Amino acid sequence: MTEAPPVETPPAESVTSERAEASTARPRSSAPPSALISMRDIWKTYQMGAEQLHALRGVSFDVQRGEYLAIIGPSGSGKSTLMNLIGCLDTPSKGDYWINGKMVAQMDDDELARIRNKEIGFVFQTFNLLARATALHNVELPLVYAGIPAAERRQQAERALQNVELSDRMTHRPNELSGGQRQRVAIARALVNHPSILLADEPTGALDTKTSYEIMGLFQQLHDAGNTIILVTHEHDIAARAHRVISIRDGQIEKDERIK
Amino acid sequence: MATELLTEPARTEQGPPPPRPFGESRPRRRSRLPPFFHTTWESFRIALSSLRANKLRTALTLVGVVVGVAAVIAVVTIIKGLDQTVASTFSSQGSTVFTISKRPQVITSREDFLRFNKRKDVKEEDADAIARLCNRCWRTGIAANAQATVKAGDKSSENVRVRGVTLSMYAIEDTDIEAGRAWTDAEEAAGRDVAVIGADVVDNLFDGAPLDRIVGRDIRVEGRTYEVVGVAERLGSIFGFSRDNFVQIPYPTFKKVFGTHSSLIVFIQVPHDSEMAAAQDQARAIMRNRRGKTFRDEEDGFSLETQDVFIDLYKSATSNIYIVTVGVAAISLVVGGIVVMNIMLVSVTERTREIGIRKAVGASRRDVLMQFLIEAVVITAIGGALGVGVGFALAFGLALAMGFPLLFSVGSAVLGVTVSSGVGIVSGLWPAWKASSLNPIEALRAE
Repeated sequence: MTEAPPVETPPAESVTSERAEASTARPRSSAPPSALISMRDIWKTYQMGAEQLHALRGVSFDVQRGEYLAIIGPSGSGKSTLMNLIGCLDTPSKGDYWINGKMVAQMDDDELARIRNKEIGFVFQTFNLLARATALHNVELPLVYAGIPAAERRQQAERALQNVELSDRMTHRPNELSGGQRQRVAIARALVNHPSILLADEPTGALDTKTSYEIMGLFQQLHDAGNTIILVTHEHDIAARAHRVISIRDGQIEKDERIK
Repeated sequence: MATELLTEPARTEQGPPPPRPFGESRPRRRSRLPPFFHTTWESFRIALSSLRANKLRTALTLVGVVVGVAAVIAVVTIIKGLDQTVASTFSSQGSTVFTISKRPQVITSREDFLRFNKRKDVKEEDADAIARLCNRCWRTGIAANAQATVKAGDKSSENVRVRGVTLSMYAIEDTDIEAGRAWTDAEEAAGRDVAVIGADVVDNLFDGAPLDRIVGRDIRVEGRTYEVVGVAERLGSIFGFSRDNFVQIPYPTFKKVFGTHSSLIVFIQVPHDSEMAAAQDQARAIMRNRRGKTFRDEEDGFSLETQDVFIDLYKSATSNIYIVTVGVAAISLVVGGIVVMNIMLVSVTERTREIGIRKAVGASRRDVLMQFLIEAVVITAIGGALGVGVGFALAFGLALAMGFPLLFSVGSAVLGVTVSSGVGIVSGLWPAWKASSLNPIEALRAE
């Protein structure tokens, strides 16, 4: 982890006292915030030998249902770390994180897996489709882990592919699809289990300009249909499509502005 | 990386979920089968497709398991067939017969052979003494053996067993005469040149002509002509040796032709196996007395045996075969298991990205663990099934070649597949655990 050079060491005793306070205070704060996502004083600290690297240093923000949010920042700003935390691929070192009323900050691996399955829909820069599986099977994957029977799974996956206009490519494998088509398969996969958030990490980073616009158009449509979208990017023109932009620098929120 | 120490995450009950935007309202109709079932079935499908994608690798991985299981199946099947043969062979005489002879029927060392050779021959007088003095003995019979060339017409057959027997031997050995008859008391007493022949002699000398037309024809043994009065029922072969290649003639006739210098075998039968011990004690005492042995002599000077000798020998031989086979199988299964483990580790490394993707969309540690475990078990179960097939094929070939019955055992097939699947679980566990504990962030970054 090379992100966030240590500018200052946080007071160690304050960390422990806050933690103790948080654990005793939790029963009182157990009423979930009304926001879809609620992050409170999130720290992510990596131990590099004797040094502590703070990738995130006290990040707090809320995301309401139906928002279209872009998180922007240069590489090394901590935005990937933040995305991993939002996506429940990782847990914060400190702080509270609520998603759809569930406290996820201290969940174990399997609980996180369930949250990823039900609450998060990932879209990656490099699509991350299974190469040997058809488009349909790729889209079915989250439903497999949700324990949905095959017939119902297939039906839902077909519907999801219809929604991204890929009904005629269902039995194609990723290497038989164009970049834009692959990303649309990935979007169908992200949405098939009706997650709370669509979380996209540089979704146009591997696409040409024209296809990028197509995909961004699709995101706009999905937002119009009521989906909550969080977009992580380093490109300002992509971020400008969102309705709210959070700028990250050195592990802290630099700016949080509503642009539409 | 610091993690929170709080063990009880504060989780709250959700109210009814808000309407889902994407598509229509979610048909959350859960199946009656547990989610576990669907993920297991999915794992099974993934396993098959990834094995298909690497056919050569899969085939090579299988070899160890196939060899191990095939060895066990082949040996178990062959020995079961032999057991059947042995049982049917020795049950005909049962445990009511014992023999007295100069040498035991099974000699395992040269020293023993030399020692037994120094013993006195068992003579007709010994048999007479037992018949006269042993009141516990029900029937006694004499058998003397020789090898000879037997001819009929222009045909000849070498190395035929010529047995000189008393008529009582037909009852003791429970010989069935398929055509014709045994000789009479009068013929035996007169030392007439009559013979009862085995089925192989019929095949070799009479081209398998109808049996009733063979009765009454002549055969020549060592230049002397005998009239065939009967044909014995076919006994079949054991361990590849035919038991039908014999000519049986009256003992007095045998004495005239082959002399009295060869040692005899005295057969003794009791009415019921509960009287075996008493009859053997009596016969042993009579014989020791005749050999001039006192109670201080350890050596009898003769061999008193039952058919158990063969059964014991057979059992010790087969148990050794079993031990060796189990050893071979164990080694090849261990090696096969290591190969499977190695391949699974390679597979986990190759598919790190895939594991990351699966975890990102909601696969739990257990889902990933099961996927790779099932893959390992599928490989070894296929290996086991192939091993069962190869093993049965080997046993079938040997059974045909050696002429014993082939007994397919479903139990050993099930055992073969079960054991090999067990090998899959053991050798798949570590790779699967490695896969399941991959960090999803790092796994997604792989390649």
